[in-house]
Amino acid sequence: MLVAMSGGVDSSVAAAVLVARGYAVVGVTMKLFCHGDAVPDRPCCSLDSMADAARVCAQLGVPHYVLNLEPAFGHDVIDDFVSEYARGRTPIPCVRCNTFTKFRDLVHRADTIDAPYVATGHYARATAGSLFRGRDATKDQSYFLWGIERAVVGRLLLPIGELTKTETRARARALGLAVADKVESQDICFVPDGDHVAVVERRLGAQTPALLPGPFVTVDGRVVGTHNGFARYTVGQRRGLPGGAHEPLFVVAIRPEDRAVVIGPRRELLGHAVVAREINWLVDAPPPVGATVDVQVRHRARSVPADVVRVTREEIELALHEPVAAIAPGQSLVLYDGDRVLGGGVIEAAPSMRAPLPVLAA
Amino acid sequence: MNAPIYLDHSATTPVHPEVLEAMLPFFGPRFGNPSSVHRWGREARTAVADARERIARCLGAQPDEVSFVSCGTEGDNLAILGTWRAARGTPRAAVVTTPIEHKAILGAVHQAAREGAVERILTVDANGVVESDSFDALVLPDVAVCSVMWVNNETGTMQSVPELGARARDRGVVFHTDAVQAFGKVKIDATTQAFDLLTISGHKIGAPKGIGAVYVRRGTQVEPILHGGSQERGRRSGTENVAYCVGLARAAEIADAERDVEVARLERLRDELEAVFLREIPGAVIHARSGPRAPHIVNVSFPDTDSDSMLMALDLAGIAASAGSACQSGSTTPSHVLSAIGVRPDLAACAVRFSLGSLTTDDAIDRAGRMIPALVAKARGLTGVPA
Repeated sequence: MLVAMSGGVDSSVAAAVLVARGYAVVGVTMKLFCHGDAVPDRPCCSLDSMADAARVCAQLGVPHYVLNLEPAFGHDVIDDFVSEYARGRTPIPCVRCNTFTKFRDLVHRADTIDAPYVATGHYARATAGSLFRGRDATKDQSYFLWGIERAVVGRLLLPIGELTKTETRARARALGLAVADKVESQDICFVPDGDHVAVVERRLGAQTPALLPGPFVTVDGRVVGTHNGFARYTVGQRRGLPGGAHEPLFVVAIRPEDRAVVIGPRRELLGHAVVAREINWLVDAPPPVGATVDVQVRHRARSVPADVVRVTREEIELALHEPVAAIAPGQSLVLYDGDRVLGGGVIEAAPSMRAPLPVLAA
Repeated sequence: MNAPIYLDHSATTPVHPEVLEAMLPFFGPRFGNPSSVHRWGREARTAVADARERIARCLGAQPDEVSFVSCGTEGDNLAILGTWRAARGTPRAAVVTTPIEHKAILGAVHQAAREGAVERILTVDANGVVESDSFDALVLPDVAVCSVMWVNNETGTMQSVPELGARARDRGVVFHTDAVQAFGKVKIDATTQAFDLLTISGHKIGAPKGIGAVYVRRGTQVEPILHGGSQERGRRSGTENVAYCVGLARAAEIADAERDVEVARLERLRDELEAVFLREIPGAVIHARSGPRAPHIVNVSFPDTDSDSMLMALDLAGIAASAGSACQSGSTTPSHVLSAIGVRPDLAACAVRFSLGSLTTDDAIDRAGRMIPALVAKARGLTGVPA
């Protein structure tokens, strides 16, 4: 079986658990991007992580390879990430990396070596062709996995999904893995120092509309200031907005047509419905109109009940039982039945959140 | 798994048993420092001098023209930077090389450029052979050193070094050749061939990693890189690696003695392997095949696969090969050599290098020829994809 190994504690323990269960494990680290040789103190393609993964494999007595998936990752994940920000949306590259890079391209590499199973260190569970939340609710990563082709779910092994993070670290220590106490990465892997604007600028140039100044507009259409590029803003954000209002203000929408960042008080942020596209189902029978499911609109957000209002092959609309704040286009909508992932899509809008925005007066 | 098949001799070779045997005493009782006056030192000094003489004989050189270095990379750096620095302040301000050199040469040439040299890169044809017009246009009397590798490590392309060396000499230009892949494959003779500097490396010919030698023709000015105790006639300070010098000499003698027989044998096996690729693998493209080449390298692209996946599948099936330039990460980056000879990026991204040598038996080629087409078919998703 092929185990995707980042060099971190989760995938290292996943590999160790599977070796202990008697699987013939092949460790693979994907090389997905390269910061380039020009930056000496930031080694090319996170060299240390690859060395960590290689060391763990050597310790487990299994082969380790580095596969260069850079061109496809650049196209499927980084290009999309940049163009989503350019469209005023808030992308989740991890979802696309799982959908296209790990669980499509890497699965194809598994076929090359006759590996029937693919394993990762995700906090989620895959049983009998179905995908479930991880046992550790605080670490659950099932939200990022809704886009996997359904046939692949049956080939997934996610041993860490049965553990809590504390248990994972304890296992790593018990196994004597050097990565046991490695600090967890919070950043998006290809975005150094969390500076997504730098990535957008590198790809599209400083003069791209998403990085040019534009107006701050209130929900009732008043221009109240100037921002320095809407790609720096995301729905729900408070930081970097004009002050002086009598109540806290948030970004409630981004309008790339006139480069406007629309701001308003918290009540304007509440969505009562949500529309998503690029739907992928992980069950035989998708929930019909009228069905009640649990939905999650953001990583680490609490799921809330919702009714299916409309569902087609491409699009789904749900009415939320209770309003949810900061539903951001570009993020994922994931549908659950309890712990089971039913499917998901990319959030297009939260339409009943407010009336259509007035066009900015000239 | 059957006995593994090692087809990566251009990366490194196993130490020849006779080489190991020749070295062993120098890890034991004969541990002296060649610079010492006492009997231990004398003994070591004699061993190094003897090794130098034997290597000189293999190269048609005088013993004082042979300097030991730690590896091919050091030899190449000494040749390029040493010659360029020695010529600094003279009108010879340019450094010339080819785009298909080993990174040891390209890196040294770039360093010379940072130090003020004018960098000139020759053009090569689709087989990697240096184009004559380009040589005439770039190798002018303002050149400090021109370096052209004898046998390319990725494609096996062989240059007519004696001829190019003679043309460089006509213009008074110092000529270096990286012969790391050539030694043991082509006849090298400094008395009749017009190179001024030449690099060889031990671990490509059955000696250990960590030893090489540079031939420096008498009268060629080379500024040392390492300064200190003036070993190696001041060309390379540092206590001699006595055991490895002895090992390199033994390995060179064996490779030299076996050359003709080994070349014929490897050519036959290579042709067999190539025939299988072309017959059994639709779309397979063998690079630099129609030009002059050494007998031990097959660089082949299997379209609709990628190099990394193929190397993984080959390794898991017990076959060792390599691709492109190994990146520090263990991944590969598309080969600068293939791109320089005009190979399309999509073909370069699925190239694999098989290199034959001492471990390559008829049986190994036979088995590799049966296994590789099946692995390629699988990588292309044509067979056996589990549901």
